[in-house]
Amino acid sequence: MKTFEEKWTAWLDGELAGNELAEFEASLPDKAAAQEEKRDAKKLGAFLKEQLQARSMGNEEFFHHQLRERIATDAGEARTREKVSAKPALWPIGRLVWAGAASLAIFSLCTFLILREKTAPDQSQYLTQILNARVDPTVSPNATISMFETKEDKVTVLWVDGLQSLPSEYAAK
Amino acid sequence: MQRRFYLVLGVSLALIAGSVAPAHAAQEVWSGLVMATNVTEPDETPPELHRIEGTLKALFGYNQFKVIGQSRKRLVTGSEDWLASSKYFALHVDSKGETGAGYFLNLKLFQEKNLLLETEAKLSKASPLVIKGPQVGSGQLLLVLIEQ
Repeated sequence: MKTFEEKWTAWLDGELAGNELAEFEASLPDKAAAQEEKRDAKKLGAFLKEQLQARSMGNEEFFHHQLRERIATDAGEARTREKVSAKPALWPIGRLVWAGAASLAIFSLCTFLILREKTAPDQSQYLTQILNARVDPTVSPNATISMFETKEDKVTVLWVDGLQSLPSEYAAK
Repeated sequence: MQRRFYLVLGVSLALIAGSVAPAHAAQEVWSGLVMATNVTEPDETPPELHRIEGTLKALFGYNQFKVIGQSRKRLVTGSEDWLASSKYFALHVDSKGETGAGYFLNLKLFQEKNLLLETEAKLSKASPLVIKGPQVGSGQLLLVLIEQ
């Protein structure tokens, strides 16, 4: 059983016929106004059909070319975004190992250079040096002083002769 | 990236500084009053003198070395003084500061209250200092300083 609206739409489209048409037109309260409305609907339909027809494309090849380029660009950007989002926050293990090894090498080199710089200068400054020596001339007037280094143990010796001799009890602890 | 570089650089510099710093760490100086004598059965040489035992024997011609007074001083600032003393002798050591390879020392040997000898020396770890003191009986007093 069709509703009034369905019958109205079918009537406007000219799809009612026979008894159904007669019955529907008989049910219309103002048939003249309805006919007027039907004419307007037909006019509108014709107008829309005319205006909404697909326009023929003048430069179809160029348009397709532009479209393909745009698609390719969009696809490239999407891949880049995927790559960026896929990049891990920290360095991968391999790169960390290399960075660590490089740091260690730099550290070793710097340490070697610094230590070499510190030890390279004149070896004599690493031996004990006697800068001066004196004895009390009133206590030991004949004292003589000499100094030398032994080659074997690198012992620096201050050799003092002529100090006053003391009795053996002075050897006590 | 740049922050990581600075982090690695900072850690490296800290490690380098850390490795260099101990070169100036505190050193210990052993100071001894040693009595060298010749005896038929010499005692064992004190461990502090093992390093230079051969030289002492060769230089002074004695076969026994006994420590009659000693002091072991750990130098922290490099400007410290200390005393190694026996009953009659005293060795006053005054460290005047640190050099690259050792310490500037002022040494005074006292026999009771008499100043027998005064000397200034730059003591290095590589070479001990031996001072020939007065003859005592049939032996010889030696002053030995070793940076350990």
